[in-house]
Amino acid sequence: MTHFSLVIGNIWAKKARSTGIALAVALAVMTVVTLTVVSNGLENAAAAVLTIGKADFTVAQKGVSDILYSSLDNGQVAQIQSTPGVKSAVGVLLETERINAANPLFIEIGIQPSDLESFGVTILAGTAYGPDAPNEVMLGWRAAQDLGLHVGDQFKANGTSNTVVGIYSTGISYGDLGAMFPLPALQAYNRVPGSVTLVFVKVVPGLSVAKVQATFEAAHPELTTIRTASQFGRADRNLVFLKAAVTGSTVLAILIGAVIVGNTMLLSLFERTREFGLLRAIGWARSRVVALVVSESLILALIGSAIGVGLSIAVAAGLESLPQLNGVLHSSFTAEAFWRGLVVGLGMAILGSLYPAIRAANLTPVKALSNE
Amino acid sequence: MSEHDVDTRPMIETHDVRKIYADGKVAALDGVDLSVSAGEFVAITGPSGCGKSTLLSLLAALDGPTSGTIRVGSYELQHLKNADRFRRQEVGLVFQLHNLLPRLSALGNVEIAMMGSDRPRAERARRAQSLLRDVGLTDLSDRRPTQLSGGERQRVAVARALANDPSVLYADEPTGSLDSRSVSTVLGLFERLRTDHGVTIVLVTHDVAVAASADRTVHMLDGRIVEP
Repeated sequence: MTHFSLVIGNIWAKKARSTGIALAVALAVMTVVTLTVVSNGLENAAAAVLTIGKADFTVAQKGVSDILYSSLDNGQVAQIQSTPGVKSAVGVLLETERINAANPLFIEIGIQPSDLESFGVTILAGTAYGPDAPNEVMLGWRAAQDLGLHVGDQFKANGTSNTVVGIYSTGISYGDLGAMFPLPALQAYNRVPGSVTLVFVKVVPGLSVAKVQATFEAAHPELTTIRTASQFGRADRNLVFLKAAVTGSTVLAILIGAVIVGNTMLLSLFERTREFGLLRAIGWARSRVVALVVSESLILALIGSAIGVGLSIAVAAGLESLPQLNGVLHSSFTAEAFWRGLVVGLGMAILGSLYPAIRAANLTPVKALSNE
Repeated sequence: MSEHDVDTRPMIETHDVRKIYADGKVAALDGVDLSVSAGEFVAITGPSGCGKSTLLSLLAALDGPTSGTIRVGSYELQHLKNADRFRRQEVGLVFQLHNLLPRLSALGNVEIAMMGSDRPRAERARRAQSLLRDVGLTDLSDRRPTQLSGGERQRVAVARALANDPSVLYADEPTGSLDSRSVSTVLGLFERLRTDHGVTIVLVTHDVAVAASADRTVHMLDGRIVEP
């Protein structure tokens, strides 16, 4: 008999209690993992905007609630362009529109045709639109495939019918799922003349991107630069709040779960008073009794965590298939989400079982053995 | 005492031991002086509430005295830092209600007493099996307590008490819930322990016949020893 086999035997002997604890852990882990993968998915989708231009870094207005609310005028774009070390600066207007049920957040990119090359756009079919063409559009090849449209077809967007003049590729799937319009046309559609959302910057080859970025930020405190997905929060406060909410939920889940685990373990302690008294009487050290109780809780937490992760996969899939969230929510199951789930499960188990374990270890053998 | 001197002191020695419970009104033990030689089998008798079980729990370091001194072997119990280790290494305990863990087999119930020791797992299992053989339960080692008779359970409890080679065995009414045949078996085991292994035995009992099997009987009344 080993410590492990004793623990497993104890868990198996109290099936109702064990199931209750594992279920509590599973529900908490499911909640936290689902929230994490959903927020990761939202972050990835939002950060994907930045990857379209294949820029060294992207410039946005500082402190906006959503990156798509960022607004920079032509003068700022010109200033960025003239910053030392900047090779090119492409101002782009980004909007989203519901095209149909399958595309509730279809991405629309307003960009001058002269900037297409430096933005990394390759025309696969047809031609680029004219700089001031009012009803011309280019579709990303994935979007064209999804919508079943070809060059010459009509594409309804922004309340008007647009002629598809070209099919493009950016090499970035998010960009290829959208459409590109002449910048003045999209600005007019959205009533933001002279305004762009983001500026995609490429640095002169050979220069340090980080140094140019730092120099730029020092010179333009009203703007912010984003180089990696982790810097996304500088320009998108919603995402920061969402991640803070997920962290808060994690802490809450641990605390509430710990109370449930602790309560169940405490009831178990009352049932097993004689057993712990006997173990102490025959010479078990307090630390060994603590280890026994905490181990039981940890094993149940691991089982509950595995169930919770399984449930979170099912719940996330269910949420994605809801009509209201279809195409909006893309769960992203990362290692971080699983670690977070494990931390929640084990945190609940350790916090919840510690007090009952210490009480069990401190039972007076004589009193415990006389317990009826 | 130098390392070449032989310790001729009794195995167990108590002096003026008192145990007063928290309310301060009940003196369970009221100045107990007891001496038990190594290898001796002593029975403690007396009416209910006279302090027999309290004395046994103090001798086993399950509880501490209010005042007085208790020595078991080389351990001064009133100064004991690690009572767990003392119980594990020096003491075997047998209770009236065998106190076996119901979800463990007979083998598991013996082995569990050795889990805090340094013995490797394989050796623990071997020794538990050997102890069950000694108490005549070889064929029942995989049975759970509910599948054993009262006498068989108490024999498992004796095997458990011997798991760590104790120098003293304390038994609190070990035959109280047994039929006469099982009583004889358990007492026979005690006798063998004493003669074959030199284990010092202190047994608490109401039963005069059981007490008669001991080398010496100590009678208690109102927390005192009245017939040393």
